[in-house]
Amino acid sequence: MSLHDFDEEEHSGRVTGRTVLRILAQARPHWKWVLGFLLSVALVSFQDAFFTYLGKQIIDEGIAAGDRSALLRIVSLYGALILVQAVAVFTFIYLAGVLGERIQYDLRRRMFDHLQELSFSYYDRTPVGWLMARVTSDTERIAQLVTWGLLDSTWGLLNVFTAMVFMTIINWRLALVVLAILPILLLVAAQFQKRILAEFRAVRRANSRITASYNENITGVRVVKALTREEANLGEFSRLTGDMYRSSYRAAWLSALFLPAVQMVSAVALGSVVWFGGVQANAGEMTIGGIQAFIAYITLMLWPIQDLARVYAEMQHAVASAERVFALIDTRPEVVDRPGASDPGSVRGRVEFEHVDFFYEKGKPVLSDFSLTVGPGETIALVGPTGGGKSTIVNLLCRFYEPKGGVIRIGGHDYRRLSLQALQSRLGIVLQTPHLFSGTVRENIRYGRLTGSDAAVEEAARTAGAHDFIVRLEKGYETQVGEGGSLLSVGQKQLISLARAVLAQPEIFIMDEATSSVDTLTEALIQKGMEALTAGRTSFIIAHRLSTIRRADRILVIDDGRVVEMGSHAELMRVGGRYYDLYTRQFRRHLEREYDLLKMVGASA
Amino acid sequence: MALPAPQHAFDLKQTISASRLVGLWRMLTGFRGAYLLATLSLGVAAVSKTGTYLLLRRFVDHTLGNAEAMASLPWIALAFVGLALFEGGFTFLSGRLAAFTAEGIARRLRDYLFDHIQRLPFTYHDRTQTGDLIERSTSDVDALRRFFADQAIAAGRITLLFAVNLSALVMLNVKLGLFSIAVVPLIVVLSYFFFRRVSKAYEAYQEQEAKLSTTLQENLTGVRVVKAFARQAYEREKFDRDNWEKFRRGRRLLRMHAFFWPASDVLCGAQLLAGFYLAALMTMDGQITLGTYLAYAGMVVWLIFPMRNLARLIVQMSTGVVSHGRVAEIIKVEKEPLAEGRHEPVGPLRGEVVFENVAFAYDGSGRVLRDISFRCEPGQTVALLGATGSGKSSLVNLLPRFYEYTGGSLRIDGVELRDYPRHYLRRQIGIVEQEPFLFSRSVRENITYGVGREVPQEEIEAAARAAAIHDVVVGFPSGYDTLVGEKGVTLSGGQKQRVAIARTLLKDPRILILDDSTSSVDTETEAAIRAALDRLMEGRTTFIIAHRIPTVMRADLILVLEGGEIVQRGTHSELLSQPGIYRQIYQVQARIDQEVSQEVDRVLT
Repeated sequence: MSLHDFDEEEHSGRVTGRTVLRILAQARPHWKWVLGFLLSVALVSFQDAFFTYLGKQIIDEGIAAGDRSALLRIVSLYGALILVQAVAVFTFIYLAGVLGERIQYDLRRRMFDHLQELSFSYYDRTPVGWLMARVTSDTERIAQLVTWGLLDSTWGLLNVFTAMVFMTIINWRLALVVLAILPILLLVAAQFQKRILAEFRAVRRANSRITASYNENITGVRVVKALTREEANLGEFSRLTGDMYRSSYRAAWLSALFLPAVQMVSAVALGSVVWFGGVQANAGEMTIGGIQAFIAYITLMLWPIQDLARVYAEMQHAVASAERVFALIDTRPEVVDRPGASDPGSVRGRVEFEHVDFFYEKGKPVLSDFSLTVGPGETIALVGPTGGGKSTIVNLLCRFYEPKGGVIRIGGHDYRRLSLQALQSRLGIVLQTPHLFSGTVRENIRYGRLTGSDAAVEEAARTAGAHDFIVRLEKGYETQVGEGGSLLSVGQKQLISLARAVLAQPEIFIMDEATSSVDTLTEALIQKGMEALTAGRTSFIIAHRLSTIRRADRILVIDDGRVVEMGSHAELMRVGGRYYDLYTRQFRRHLEREYDLLKMVGASA
Repeated sequence: MALPAPQHAFDLKQTISASRLVGLWRMLTGFRGAYLLATLSLGVAAVSKTGTYLLLRRFVDHTLGNAEAMASLPWIALAFVGLALFEGGFTFLSGRLAAFTAEGIARRLRDYLFDHIQRLPFTYHDRTQTGDLIERSTSDVDALRRFFADQAIAAGRITLLFAVNLSALVMLNVKLGLFSIAVVPLIVVLSYFFFRRVSKAYEAYQEQEAKLSTTLQENLTGVRVVKAFARQAYEREKFDRDNWEKFRRGRRLLRMHAFFWPASDVLCGAQLLAGFYLAALMTMDGQITLGTYLAYAGMVVWLIFPMRNLARLIVQMSTGVVSHGRVAEIIKVEKEPLAEGRHEPVGPLRGEVVFENVAFAYDGSGRVLRDISFRCEPGQTVALLGATGSGKSSLVNLLPRFYEYTGGSLRIDGVELRDYPRHYLRRQIGIVEQEPFLFSRSVRENITYGVGREVPQEEIEAAARAAAIHDVVVGFPSGYDTLVGEKGVTLSGGQKQRVAIARTLLKDPRILILDDSTSSVDTETEAAIRAALDRLMEGRTTFIIAHRIPTVMRADLILVLEGGEIVQRGTHSELLSQPGIYRQIYQVQARIDQEVSQEVDRVLT
């Protein structure tokens, strides 16, 4: 998928049969609702036409005939039908609406469930915002098509149809006159809508440019002022608003012209009806009520025709949305359980990387021929420059990705023979930027083991060194952490994610240490928590802290997808190579922080 | 219609009023004639529509069945078309004029807000969120546009239709006319309350939608945690709860609509039918003619049904009024006058800067700077050293008059700073920040941004070479035309800084303000930036916000700030010879060097 696919510009797809069918299929589980609203819409449309017919009957059978009892009969029928109509209107609004909401619910659920299964490689190349738009706005468009789109077109067609039927019943020759005008109406409407929609698209484009321009000028206001760009910026901005003005104004007056234009065509129809109708009435072939009814039917036909082009444009949007949604649903996860995948009951054994090759993009290898054997209970520190492959090693171990070549064995088994659940439920992972979910502190720790009791949660927090700060929070363990944990400091979030990993009682522990600095006390607490976690567990740590590095059983310097140096702290220092440089630089930074030098000079990091 | 020139002549500040309605009325300044005409046209259109029914009455009563009058049949048919033309023409005119007004007002407002915001003082921008400003400049402006374009005009249309048709009906028959509107007040009141409740239910629905989005976003951004703990099932359940709640709230909203529309249909329908019945009886009794009956049946529809929408419009219009208030809050704020100032030299400054007991405090808060006195000759370099919050940035921010000093005297070239127009000062002062803000434009446009003249390519390249960025730029896919930012290349902090240096070289200011970066650039880049900065500083009075001793060492004057005061001053050698913060920093740095070598020795021996 190239970056271009994520462009949020105009989307309108060709209405293709297959996609439309698949969209309609979304309504199949709720076919009773669909049937219900289509029937009620048909009833409403028919009755609307019938009301007009009754209006004619009042004139012809009642007034003109001077028949009071007939009048009362017609009026009573009319009144009864108003009640029936109310029920029908209620039914179609309710059913169509609920169906729409339900289809959205179904689609969102399906997409969300599917997203949980998709592999990391998918998330790597797909922006979160793009996914969000699929789950939110696209589902809405699809639901609109299945409900209001279907409703509008059914209602529209039926209106035209029933009106024509009733007109034919009243006077077929006049009905033919109207029929002749119908195509002209359609043509006029289509032409107008095409132009109006084009202008609206231009308005939306201009609008997003204007918003971007506001955004940039406000966030960069310091530079604007410093470089005295105010005049020039206003000039540029004014051109944007000029574009917007032109399109918006044109769209508005085209819309204003549209209705009268359609009405003009129908007025011609009306004029002809009066003319021919008048002649015929005098010849006794047309009643006064009949003429009145014709006028009403022409109006009745007008509404759907006005809307036709809009409905079609919305259909195009919905189809484009549906294609994106279906593409997401059809994406197969890359890492899945193989047939016959088993759970060995434990993953405590030896971890072996054998000649592992890996790349995210073809032609850009990240790991090549990487081999490493880690004994049970060993703590491995991975150090080296960003992009060197440290995270990749860890991601492969977690089976977020699988090797493109070579084998990874855990306890002697090729880990692709294990089920994902067997491996991943026994891993404890702490990420560099700790991610918390909205909710309480307790809920976030319990994420590590959902069945953990309150006592277990607190025990884990104690082990991780998080308990003390948690009880000092206003509501203790019941404190809300805010969206993404925004109400806590970085250090606090790290402690909570450590506690979460402790509670999970993992067999293999993986940690990507944070680079951001925390205060000395928190640092010591984190250190203590890590010691508790790594004790007796096979551990892989992408290390940034000196103490972590020094304490590791083995240090691996990773660069360019290879192990450049390997050994204990003392061994590697003696080598005087990459590790030596890295360590002394880190040590200097550590001291600068220790002595508050950075604070003295007001530097940020 | 020609595009009107941007009307900056009218200062929207004049529209500010304690009364929101008065404010809206003043917003119409310059468009009142057009808007009045739009309203009048609506009246004409309404009269034409009613005229059609009156013509129908004449046609039925006098032409039909009258052999002598049959000759006038074509004329009557033509008159129908004519009236429709009249109605359509004026409807269009009204729509066009309303669009002209609304789009014109919106454009004027957009331009005004854009310019106003970029001229608001820093004290305003410091405490205002960008998102909020953008929201007000876009959504609220659009709400105002809709207010003038659709809502006010539609409410006017409904009112006029009601007034014209009611007068006509009363003219035809007083009793019938008054009887027909019995239910109207009830409909207006009922629907008003209904739409108020609906807008509340809609808010609840949107709230849930926001919540669902948050849950989704947290899941997608935290997908690593979800997978790391194999919590897919748990996440599904969590999402489903929010998803279902949205469905439930949507259903509730629909239920309200599903009840309201048919219920009001029944009310309107009953009124209509009762009117038909009464009118039919009166026709039979000879109180009114058949033609009158037909005209009545046509007009009464326009009397009753539109009233349902009147209440909806009133509810919608209240959001327009609120939006106007939100926009007015921005307009109310005073902007900083850029051109105001007694002393504007023709040529550039020399660059002699004298601070004498300068003090600065933000409105209402404690002092930020106190008793700042020092002097620097043209071309000299002043280094500022101190912890975060010591007042370094505030001090340099006074020079371009980003903030106004609140005490003492600050002179450049012997003239009080306040007497220089802000524009002049800012053209004479160049600023290179630690991580400069670049605009989403091409590299070329970013380099020439704010230079205020056409710059030939050779000159741009020369500046880029001097700033050590040329080689980087030509490596980009489209060289100098490469877009910077989200839609183009992402520049590193060091690269951004060098673009800013090139930009400042072209600007050629007499006074420079530099932020000496400690952001993690590698040693090679650091040397390049250093050399570029040296070239930039040549022959200019320079203020450096310094973060490390090597930068400071060469300055002509070093000022050490603490708590908004100068605690130490002098050259490097002077400051080293006296006790104080400066020596402390120097010593800490020396000690760190020593400890690093000790650590290395400790491991190696």
